[in-house]
Amino acid sequence: MSMKKQYGQPKDNYHLKIMLKSAAVFIVCLFLTLVCLVPVYLIVVNATRESNDIAAKPAMFWFEGSLADNWNTLMGNIDGQIEEINAMVGQIDENGNEYTQGRADADIRAVENVATAYSKAFNVVKGYLNSLIIAGSTTLLTVFFSAMTAYGLTVYDFKLRGAAYTFIIAVMMIPVQVSSAGFVRFMYQLGLINNFIPLIVPAIAAPAVIFFMKSYMKSSFPLDIVEASRIDGCGEYRTFLTIALPMMKPAIAVQAIFAFVANWNNYYTQNMILKNPNMATIPIMISKVLGLDRYYDYGVNYLCVVLSILPIIIIYFILSKFIIAGVALGGVKE
Amino acid sequence: MSTMKRTLALLATLAMASTAFVACGGGTESTESKTEDSKVEDSKVEEESKDDTAESKDDENTGAEVSLPSDDAVLSIVCWTDADLKNMFKNYCADKGLTEGTDIVWVQSGTSGGEAATEYATFLNSGADVDLFVAEAGWILNYINDSSFAAPLSALGITADEFSDCYDYTVAIGTNEAGDLMGASWQAAAGGFAYRTDLAKEHLGIETPEAMQDAIKDWAGFEATAEKLKTATDGKVTMTATLGGLWQCFSTATNSAWVDGGVINQATAKEFVAMAKKYGDAGYVNPAIGQWTPDWTNIGNDGSTLGYFYSTWCLAAGAQLEQNGGTAGNWNIVVGPQEYFWGGSWLCVSPNCNTADKAAEFIRYFTTDAAAMEKYALSSGDFVNNKTAMNNIVSAGSNSNALLGGQDQFAVLTEVAAGIKMNDSISAYDQSLKDTFLKSLQDNFDKSEDEIMADFVEKALAANPDLKAE
Amino acid sequence: MASAAQRRIKSISYAKYGYMFIAPFFLVYCFFQIWPLIYTFILSFQGNQATNGQFVGLDNYTTILIGQGTAAGASATSAEFWKSLGNTFILWFGNFIPQILLSLLLAVWFTDAKIKLPGKGFFKVVMYMPNIITAASVAALYVNLFGESKYYFVNGALLDLGLVEDPIKFISDPVVSKVMVMFIQTWLWFGNTMIMLMSGIMGINPSLFEAANIDGANSTQVFTKVTLPLLQPIMVYTMITSMIGGLQMFDIPYLYHTAGQKFSRELETVAVYIYYNFNTGTEAQSNYGYAGAASIIIFIITAILGSITFYMNRDKDEIAQKKQRKRAMKQYKAKMKKGGLAL
Repeated sequence: MSMKKQYGQPKDNYHLKIMLKSAAVFIVCLFLTLVCLVPVYLIVVNATRESNDIAAKPAMFWFEGSLADNWNTLMGNIDGQIEEINAMVGQIDENGNEYTQGRADADIRAVENVATAYSKAFNVVKGYLNSLIIAGSTTLLTVFFSAMTAYGLTVYDFKLRGAAYTFIIAVMMIPVQVSSAGFVRFMYQLGLINNFIPLIVPAIAAPAVIFFMKSYMKSSFPLDIVEASRIDGCGEYRTFLTIALPMMKPAIAVQAIFAFVANWNNYYTQNMILKNPNMATIPIMISKVLGLDRYYDYGVNYLCVVLSILPIIIIYFILSKFIIAGVALGGVKE
Repeated sequence: MSTMKRTLALLATLAMASTAFVACGGGTESTESKTEDSKVEDSKVEEESKDDTAESKDDENTGAEVSLPSDDAVLSIVCWTDADLKNMFKNYCADKGLTEGTDIVWVQSGTSGGEAATEYATFLNSGADVDLFVAEAGWILNYINDSSFAAPLSALGITADEFSDCYDYTVAIGTNEAGDLMGASWQAAAGGFAYRTDLAKEHLGIETPEAMQDAIKDWAGFEATAEKLKTATDGKVTMTATLGGLWQCFSTATNSAWVDGGVINQATAKEFVAMAKKYGDAGYVNPAIGQWTPDWTNIGNDGSTLGYFYSTWCLAAGAQLEQNGGTAGNWNIVVGPQEYFWGGSWLCVSPNCNTADKAAEFIRYFTTDAAAMEKYALSSGDFVNNKTAMNNIVSAGSNSNALLGGQDQFAVLTEVAAGIKMNDSISAYDQSLKDTFLKSLQDNFDKSEDEIMADFVEKALAANPDLKAE
Repeated sequence: MASAAQRRIKSISYAKYGYMFIAPFFLVYCFFQIWPLIYTFILSFQGNQATNGQFVGLDNYTTILIGQGTAAGASATSAEFWKSLGNTFILWFGNFIPQILLSLLLAVWFTDAKIKLPGKGFFKVVMYMPNIITAASVAALYVNLFGESKYYFVNGALLDLGLVEDPIKFISDPVVSKVMVMFIQTWLWFGNTMIMLMSGIMGINPSLFEAANIDGANSTQVFTKVTLPLLQPIMVYTMITSMIGGLQMFDIPYLYHTAGQKFSRELETVAVYIYYNFNTGTEAQSNYGYAGAASIIIFIITAILGSITFYMNRDKDEIAQKKQRKRAMKQYKAKMKKGGLAL
């Protein structure tokens, strides 16, 4: 009895301590979860509110019903709003003044101006399409050519191999900013401003991805396979395409996700090259929305922010496990 | 000289066009011109060689005043917002039986005038199809002094004497260093002081615009009224909305450009800093409110400010006075302490213009056609750049603006326009230096006047290594 | 005994294929990166605005570094460059310290087998989420929530609750805006750093922890005596990569500004300095020379920081890192095998 008590107590104590610590950790994590989610939640809430209501009472935590109206303004569909305004003509407002046709016309102009400003600055369909074209093709180019380069560096033995690999590692950390002045000037000279080429083709050269792929191949790509395939009479390119690439799928998958996200989010380079609003991507469009003046609608503004992050959030929550596993691999730190 | 240039251009064009024809037939890439003496011709030539069907039509223009081609069906106009342009645009399309999108397109570059000042450069350089572009007074010189961006109106066959009915300052601003007329404005952006009649009545006992104008007819009166308002409202209502508006009104009087002979002109800025500090510290204006921001719109409607320095195109653009508030009808406009103008939009011609006929027709309709301009002014409330049109409207007395409780804003604004000390001296740096100055002022508002000026000069010089300060 | 085919293959030289496989990378890299870098270097010896394209020697360097140059505003330009460098450092430091501390704490907790934490996977997913959102949108998000008048969420709430009398200048105040950017950067990156550190901790030999436990070490002791020293290489690595990343800090400082302004001078980082100097409109308005000189200076700083990492990676921790990578790879593969993503 007494023995049990003697041993039992510290153990209970220990358990209690662990329990308390776990609870504390849990609370901290919960708090951080809120810090991460609340800002995003709030913009979604505000995207469902009407501009006047937001200005009158900005701090609200629950959804309201104006999402469709905001969407229509953003898309330039303002017929409904115009009808509403016209229907009000002849009524007496709270100040005792009549709502005249002249006032209605002015209101309609204001509604039109807001709708035009937003639908031009944030043409969501075009933005998605442009971003998708750029992010999609850069992703394909990056993973394919990086796998190819990594394969070349791993499988073949040639004089400059060491030098080439050292070069790739050395340039891995050069920030894009240091060459961008020359890059832009050069692109002007080539007439490649307002062209997707300067945004897509450079994706072929992604040192960090090559570094990752090479490490991956080193640890999990048996070189014997190449030899075996040669014996079977398979050409070098076919070996790469039909044997090596499929074996590298896990590495390709994780790098493809990161490449896609990085290129979708790349504001810096895109903003330097794309000056034509028809070619604007989502990050450029959101920066345009930030620069809007005179014609402004708080609700539509929030809706633009929501739309700009929606695709990436969806992709993230579908693929979060792989993304996090990829980060753990030391993937690519932007 | 210019005739010779034009002849040379034509020769070069024809020569290049034939090369282009050969080049196109051979399926190779377009040829680049090596002629460096005139960039206008260069870019035109490039345009030609790009367009397979361009060659034959060029002959039509031989010998005519018009030196730009008319071989494209679509008139493309670059603009940062079509809000000011749109209503005139609708009239134009209706009158001429044209359709937006197929006959005329407007292309957006930049989302605000300030942004367009820099975004245009890259856009115009990018080889996009541009026929006309719209520019603001603050930065128009950057473009019209550079022949790679702008061609003279005479290239479309439009002569300077067609603008005799315009307000003079608009012509002065549209003229470049070489003395060529490069841009024409359809607006004469006279500005007044728009105020809330209900607040004026409640706090100041002022019931008519005449009484208001009498109270604020000069800066001393403006200050006295502001003080009265402050006392009456316990500082809750500011006299005017923004420092930006105050600056616009104040600075027009001095008629000086920001840069003169490569030296930053600080005199007006210094005076204004003193005034702004006085007004800000006294609570006549809230220095935190930025011009054109949503806050700027809102404070007029929730009664935080009595009035705006308000330009004509603000009225034209729609119900900003009543956005978010239902205060429409509770406003009046008066001349204010000082006649001034604010902005205006100049139509300029791109050297790459390939729709010369349409572009000329468009510019004439917008800037010289008195009947069309009158029609537009009446329907939109915008103040057009045509003395005949404006005088007709005022003498007819038929205009009444619903936002202003039925007041005829043109009666006030023609008075302003007549009294403007024409600010015709502008410099290419005006927009950027004004922005820098107002930003320095706002950011350092709590510091001393000297510190504010020092901050401004430092930032201005850092951004513009060509300039000096004295 | 090697077959005839095998012998034949062995005798063939495959070196040319090696070159072919790596050729696309090098061609594209030289064209789009190396030449622009060289060109930037050339630009750094050429003039600004009206003197664009003319050789001016070291004028740009002396101007931005010591304020001695032909331009009247040389000292102002220099002051601005140094201020942007200072801002970069302040903003980087102010986000790195809280970020690494928070990440380290979380990483230790998440890898501590003794702590029973329900929803660990969920927490990881949520905490990493900010990192994946478009930075431009993040700036827009915070600008919209923290606007500087009573019409915006945070200031509206503070005023409603009577906590402040005037709206707080979250965006334009020199100090408050910096704190905001530090917060945003931390918000963006702590999840990422946490996961990197977690994989670092998991790479530590578990027997070391067991031994420490048997010796009766408490969790603080385990942390300071085992975890931290063994994590040191990866932490230094994280720090230097983050520092290089800090030199590139652009999207948030550039876009976090009040309406009607291009960017906030109080948040001007070196990347912003370079950007607006070469990207402000017409050729005649652009300062390619200053942008080029600043770029080259940043390049040199980066090169120094980079060679430190390079040097460090080369020796003692190379083995540790390799092991850790291997382990992570194994876990990753196991996860892939378990299904989810059909490959």
